Amino acid sequence: MSPPKLTKDQIQKLTFSALGFVFLLYVYFTFFLGPLNRSRAAMLVTIQDLQSKLDASKDKMKKAVSLEQQAKTATSRFATLRALNPEGAPIAWFPPRIKTFFASQQIDKAVARLENSAAFKEAELSGWTKYNWLIDLPQADFASLGTAIAELENTEPLLSITKLHIQILPSQPQFQHVEIAAASIIEKR
Amino acid sequence: MALHLNLLHEEKLEQRQRQRDPLKIGIMVLAGFGALLFLYYMFNAYRTLEIKSRLSAVERNWTKIEPEVTAADKRVAELEGIIKTTSALDNYIENRFFWAPFLQRVSHCVPPNAQLTSLDATVLDENKGISVSLEGVAAGREPRSVAEDLRQMLIEQLGHGYGGVKAEFKTLEDLDTIVNVGGTNMPMAHYLLAINFNPSPTAKSAASPTPDHTRKR
Repeated sequence: MSPPKLTKDQIQKLTFSALGFVFLLYVYFTFFLGPLNRSRAAMLVTIQDLQSKLDASKDKMKKAVSLEQQAKTATSRFATLRALNPEGAPIAWFPPRIKTFFASQQIDKAVARLENSAAFKEAELSGWTKYNWLIDLPQADFASLGTAIAELENTEPLLSITKLHIQILPSQPQFQHVEIAAASIIEKR
Repeated sequence: MALHLNLLHEEKLEQRQRQRDPLKIGIMVLAGFGALLFLYYMFNAYRTLEIKSRLSAVERNWTKIEPEVTAADKRVAELEGIIKTTSALDNYIENRFFWAPFLQRVSHCVPPNAQLTSLDATVLDENKGISVSLEGVAAGREPRSVAEDLRQMLIEQLGHGYGGVKAEFKTLEDLDTIVNVGGTNMPMAHYLLAINFNPSPTAKSAASPTPDHTRKR
């Protein structure tokens, strides 16, 4: 059976139909199916991302709870150490505190002067500053001094004596002139 | 054989030609294909909507849990910081040199016929030890031996609590001054002692001797 002979008009219509078909395919894939697939793929990626975040969040919450339990001692110790020093500039409260302390130890005329202060290089102590003080006790007797230093070392854990100079007073041999260089760690506030 | 006459030949041919019209066939094929594409699109759209609803559910969950996770993250960082800082501070506290036990030991070493006139002590940098300079006078028939006894006693007493104790005279010289000790006139000697030692681990953990002997924290 031979194919039917097409007229010119029919060939023209067929050509238009073929062109329309190609145009239809183009529009379909470019403006309908393509964006739909892209949007679906993007949503799948987002779901995967969020799902992994959700899974990780459970571990993080568990870790936080467990760390909270483990860090109880450290937290209370940290709070205790923070509470050792009052708020405000150390130069304002440290010298009076030292004077009061030595007065309570029967050593009068104690004078504390700030020599310098320096930040710590260690990252974990970045919130703390080291203050170097010079404590001058013009008139102290050795026994009281020993007791006072012991008490100072025990009640001020963040204070460390770095130098100690004791000199007899020629005019009053029962007394000594004492100079104490001490470093104290104080939180930046 | 019967004669069969087709009187509607032209009409049937015309109808057949109408049915075989390529344009009509093409339009029908196109419409069918379009319907298939539409169904495929609808299928994909349905899947997309389903995924969208899943995404919404996951997003809702995440929105609900996100503040808690952020707070937990922040708390973990804060706690880790506290632990590290406390550890560093404890390390600093434990590595302090306690002067009161040292002064107590020195006071036990000084005999009645010797006197300290000056004590100069320094904690060397980077925990390299303690350097002490003691100056004083000693009286006795042999004042130099009194000073030597003091040196020996210091080595012995400090050796109990500290490591690597070294004590040596920088100066030891007789004085012209005569002093009366217990009703007896005795010559005197002036001495300058240099003492070096390292605070041993036992010395580090020993608290200063307070009346209750406890370290308050």
